[in-house]
Order: sequence, then structure tokens, then C-alpha cells
Amino acid sequence: MMESWKERALARYQELKKLGKSFFPYIIYKDTVVVFLIFVVVLGLAIVKGAELEEVADPTDTTYNPRPEWYFLFLFQALKYVPGSLEAVAAIILPSLVILLMILLPFIDRGPRRHPFDRPLLTILGIVAIVGFIGLTVVGLESPLLNPVVHKDPQVMAGRKLYADLKCSYCHSINGRGGVAGPDLTTVGSRRERDWFVQHFQSPQRVTPGSVMPRLNLLPEEVDELVAYMMTLGGGGGPFTPKAPHLFQDHCESCHRLDGKGGEIGPDLTTLRTYRDKGFIYGYIQDPKPFNPETSMPGFKGTLTDPEIEDLSRYLLSSKREKK
Amino acid sequence: MKKIVDWFDERIQTREIKETLFDRKIPKGVGWIYALGSASLFLLILQAVTGILLAMSYSAAPDHAYASVQYITEQIPMGAIIRGLHKWGASFMVIVVTLHMIRVYFMGAYKFPRELTWVLGVLIWLVVIGFGFTGYLLPWDQKGYWATMVGANLAGQAPFIGEAASKVLRGGEALGAITLTRFYAIHVLVLPASLLTLVGLHLFLVVRQGISAPPERDKGERS
Repeated sequence: MMESWKERALARYQELKKLGKSFFPYIIYKDTVVVFLIFVVVLGLAIVKGAELEEVADPTDTTYNPRPEWYFLFLFQALKYVPGSLEAVAAIILPSLVILLMILLPFIDRGPRRHPFDRPLLTILGIVAIVGFIGLTVVGLESPLLNPVVHKDPQVMAGRKLYADLKCSYCHSINGRGGVAGPDLTTVGSRRERDWFVQHFQSPQRVTPGSVMPRLNLLPEEVDELVAYMMTLGGGGGPFTPKAPHLFQDHCESCHRLDGKGGEIGPDLTTLRTYRDKGFIYGYIQDPKPFNPETSMPGFKGTLTDPEIEDLSRYLLSSKREKK
Repeated sequence: MKKIVDWFDERIQTREIKETLFDRKIPKGVGWIYALGSASLFLLILQAVTGILLAMSYSAAPDHAYASVQYITEQIPMGAIIRGLHKWGASFMVIVVTLHMIRVYFMGAYKFPRELTWVLGVLIWLVVIGFGFTGYLLPWDQKGYWATMVGANLAGQAPFIGEAASKVLRGGEALGAITLTRFYAIHVLVLPASLLTLVGLHLFLVVRQGISAPPERDKGERS
């Protein structure tokens, strides 16, 4: 037996329908106007802004700042406020639960009341969700990129392309990607000098007798490009910006010695990269207390931005500071 | 002209179809905001047309994908505009479908007798998001590659099935050639088939049950 409110709802609908107009042309007219306006805006954006195409995907580029499509940005941003151990809950379980509730909504919220003022809880919940989404998206759009933007040396980029074109990775690997027939090149830039590379690329056997590496027959400028790329392979945390040395001077040098220059209050950091990884250094600069409760070093979270701390960490990890 | 119409009407009763579709009465008070559903349908068609045009010149292999997108943008007549329409159309699709859903949410239009229409609508919304996620990788540029990497890693966080889900999504351990063909197949085969089915059912219900009337205040009568 149908509940009486359902019968009344259906009857009221029939009443309103009798009072209403036909789909054609009245509703079609409104639809056409709205569709036309949307099409004009989409076409305008397509012509004026177009669809951007960034550089070709490079799986070895660890300095790229991933950014999701804008409608995922709120989730991306929300995850920044969640501790790592709860990431699965925030990233997967919570959204799945929300979607499930959305699907089940008509079976949870039953009964005759439809007007938003007659369903205050759901109305408020809806407004909170919309405000939260917009707020997180805006904060996400404005938040600084984690990886410092590094100016890319065209010579290095050309060398990187040569490395790919010559299929060097069939035999050599960088950061665990590539073959094992030849030596691992992940940190080769910190082990070899420029001249060694130049001679090596002219004739591998001259500097490494018995090497099975083929001669590459490169043009002199191609050798320079490939060497420039090899010299960036220093291990460490990735390239740092020219600002990094100044950051060190301004914030660290009064207490810490680096490459023979600086204060004596804190430990010498010259060889830090040989025994600490980036996660440690980054966390320590942000706030040293959890690592070392006795320390008199201040935390720099708040003083420095996250990208600056990242930049400093990379600088400390780099083996090629002194050569710059 | 009339003869042709009659010919069809005698066989498949086209006048009945016209009456059901175009002469149906829309309840009093239906305003501009109700056009969001039709706008979603229009954007679907726009995405289908531009998508088919793009698929004609696109190659879903890591060695060729990027170059084929460059080719579309630079060489094909109107190629840049078609890509632009598809890209911006996608964003608008997400916006308009979501606004449509928000309208239904606040008006309580998902209630009896339209529960099924709502459930289908939420599924359509999920498919639209799926289109966005898979389509982002296809140009094989830095942005798409790394965003997909983040997405696949997040999927890997799911309890129990995370590892497997992330593997199925990528087609292996690493994000590479199989991921691209897989995303392409999902984007142009799986999702369009799902979307057309869901939208077909959704629209059938809308026409069959009629567009919901605007909500009225509860006058305190208890059921």
C-alpha cells in the first residue's frame, strides 16, 4: 500500500504539470539559450587559451612539480593537512565513503520534505561541502610548489636528449632505470672530472682500457652537451637554485661551517651529505627538536618557505657546491 | 514533406514519440536552472564529436603520443581549436554536471519517485571524473605523466585492494607504454559505453516520470 504522502506528492505533481507549459518550445528555448552561452564561453577559451602541451613526459625528471587537474586539487590540498599514517583514510576511504553516501542519499533522506529550509541538516552539510571545496581549491592554487623551480640549462637538456637518442640506457642506469651492462651513472658527476668525460666520449678505451663501450663518433658540441648532462648527475637531492648559497649565508653560516667557511657553534656540515638523506635534512631544518631535543638550533618552518627549505636541503646534499 | 512524415507515422507512430518528447507538460515554476541537465547533454555531444576527431590522428604509444598531439595542434586544420574545445569542454562538463547535481541536491529532487534517476546521476558523475583522469595522461606530457603518477600512487594507498588496483591501473609496476594504451582504451571504449548506457537510462526516467517540480515548503502536515 502506498503511503499517503506519496500519493499526495504524485497528485500535487499532476496539478503543477497541468498549470505548466509544454516542453517545446518553452523549455527548449531556455535550454538553447543556456547551451549557446556555454558553447560561446568554451569556444572562446579554446581559441584564446587553447590546450597547453608541456614538455614531453620524462620519467627520470625528479624535479617536476606534479599538479592534478583543477577539480582534484582540493583533495591534493586536503592531503597536505593529514599526517602520513592517515593518508590512506583521507585519500581513499573518506572519498569512497562520501561517494557511497551520495549514491544512497535518496534511501537515507526519505519522506515528503523537499524544500531546503525543511531539511536544514542536509542544506547546511551541502553548503559546508561547497565552501570547503572552493576554499581548498583556492588555497591549493596559491600554495607554493614544493620543488624549487630550477632554471634548465639548454646544454644539459640537449645532453639529456642525446642520452635518450643514443639509447645509453640500454647499458647504463640512472636512479635505478636502465641496463646493467655498463656502470651505474646515478652519481657519476661527483666521481669524475670534466676532462675525463671529454676524453671518455671521444674514445672510451683511452681512459678505460678494455672497455666494451662503443665509440660514439660525436660532434664536439655534442660531447659538450653530453658532458654537461653527466656533470649534473651528482646523486644528492636534485638541482638547487642560485639562491641556495645566499640562503645558507643568511640563515646558517653564523653557526655552521660549510666547505671551510662559517661559524663554530654548530657542527660542520661539509660532509653531511655522506651520512644523512634529504628527508632527514629537510625535517631537521624545519624543526630540529624531534631529532635532537638538546639542540639550541631554531626551527626554520615559518622563517623559510617550504621550497626554500627544499632548496637548502639540496644545496647541502650536493657534491658540487664548491665548483659553482 | 507531409507525405514523408505520414509514411513514418504509419509504421512507427512518430507522432506519439513527438507528443511524448516535445508536447509533454513541464510543471509550473521550472526555471532557468533546470537547463543544466540539457547543457550537460550538449557538452557530452561536444566531447564525443571533438573526441572522435582527435582519435583520428592520435597515437597511443609513448614514442608517438606526444608527437601526434603536436601534429594535431600544429598541422591539422582547426586542430588547435578542436583540442581546445575538448580540453575546456571537459572542464565545463565537470562543472555543469556538478552544478546540475547540486541543484537536485538542494531541491530534494532525488526523493520519491526519482531515487533511481539520482543514483544513475551519481554514477554518470563518477564516469565524467573517470574521463578527466584518464584523458589527462593521453598527451604524454610532463603534467599528465606526473599527475597520473600521483593518482596511481594514491590509488595504491587503498586498504587490501590498493596494491592490485594501482597495478591494474598502470598495467604493471611502472607507469609506461601499457598504462598509456590502457588509459586510452578506458577513455575511448569503456567510459563512453558506460556513459551512453547510464545517460540513456537517466533520460528515459526523466521523460517517463517528468521533470521534478520546484520544492514547496512543508505546511506541517504529517504523513
